[in-house]
Amino acid sequence: MLPLSLLKTAQGHPMLVELKNGETYNGHLVNCDTWMNIHLREVICTSKDGDRFWRMPECYIRGNTIKYLRVPDEVIDKVQEESKSRTDRKPPGVGRGRGRGGSQDGPGGRPAKGIGRGFDEGGARGQGGSRGGRGGLGGSRGAGRGRG
Amino acid sequence: MSAGPGLESLVDQTISVITNDGRNIVGILKGFDQATNIILDESHERVYSTKEGVQQLVLGLYIIRGDNISVVGELDEELDSSLDLSKLRAHPLKPVIH
Amino acid sequence: MSGRKETVLDLAKFVDKGVQVKLTGGRQVTGTLKGYDQLLNLVLDEAVEFIRDADDPLKTTDQTRRLGLIVCRGTAVMLVSPTDGTDEIANPFLQPEGA
Repeated sequence: MLPLSLLKTAQGHPMLVELKNGETYNGHLVNCDTWMNIHLREVICTSKDGDRFWRMPECYIRGNTIKYLRVPDEVIDKVQEESKSRTDRKPPGVGRGRGRGGSQDGPGGRPAKGIGRGFDEGGARGQGGSRGGRGGLGGSRGAGRGRG
Repeated sequence: MSAGPGLESLVDQTISVITNDGRNIVGILKGFDQATNIILDESHERVYSTKEGVQQLVLGLYIIRGDNISVVGELDEELDSSLDLSKLRAHPLKPVIH
Repeated sequence: MSGRKETVLDLAKFVDKGVQVKLTGGRQVTGTLKGYDQLLNLVLDEAVEFIRDADDPLKTTDQTRRLGLIVCRGTAVMLVSPTDGTDEIANPFLQPEGA
């Protein structure tokens, strides 16, 4: 079972979220995404030391600031029911894999434009002040990439 | 599974997790993903102290974000049940410094 | 960040309304949301930052400073909530959970 499937199943349920900064948020999960970003409703925020409290109608929390989530015990049984009928949810994993692969393709693909790139870099270096290095650097890089 | 053979073999077993903030959480591994986010069922935290025995706090069903996990280990339930946690004294772990 | 519906929270409903934003590192600001993008970069008008405790930078005080019109970089945004309806309250738990 994937943690994000459990989280998705917990939509509509109350939960406790602790952030990396130690603050905790109690609220009902409205929505979540594959980044673990979450939207809570009817929230009570507790400070790190547990001495101050705030009530807020709703809040959006970025996934990467989360330390952990505490979800009601019964939610795990509901996931099992769902995963049987839906034959497991792969999309989050697949989506991420492709996303990263794609972003790596970007820089990797660039060298093909060897000439244009060399010219651009030459310009940028020139601004940096090193005129002597300009032509040489840009030229040699462009040539090197052209061969590759 | 894409996360390697490591955690797959621990699913439905009791595991012990050390988090970056120095907590020790014990529970049954119900699932994980490629970011090492994990689902722990029937989990509890063990709070160590040099003054008194180990305190166990019931936590229930937890999703722990992989970012926040330092160590995941199999728990030898036989060995574990032979421990008298109330007599065990230990320094609490310090949080990870990034 | 493509394909999949990225936004869990529809910020459109907060435009021209007061929002509270917490940023990584501990800064906390409120302001009127004037704009945003899919990366969660935010434009806040008449923004006010809560000054933090000099001894404990994780704690905010009631002291503020006016920032005016600002852009909050999306990567630094930790939390967004509406200021309307947000109030400090007394301990609602018998024992503070997860504190």
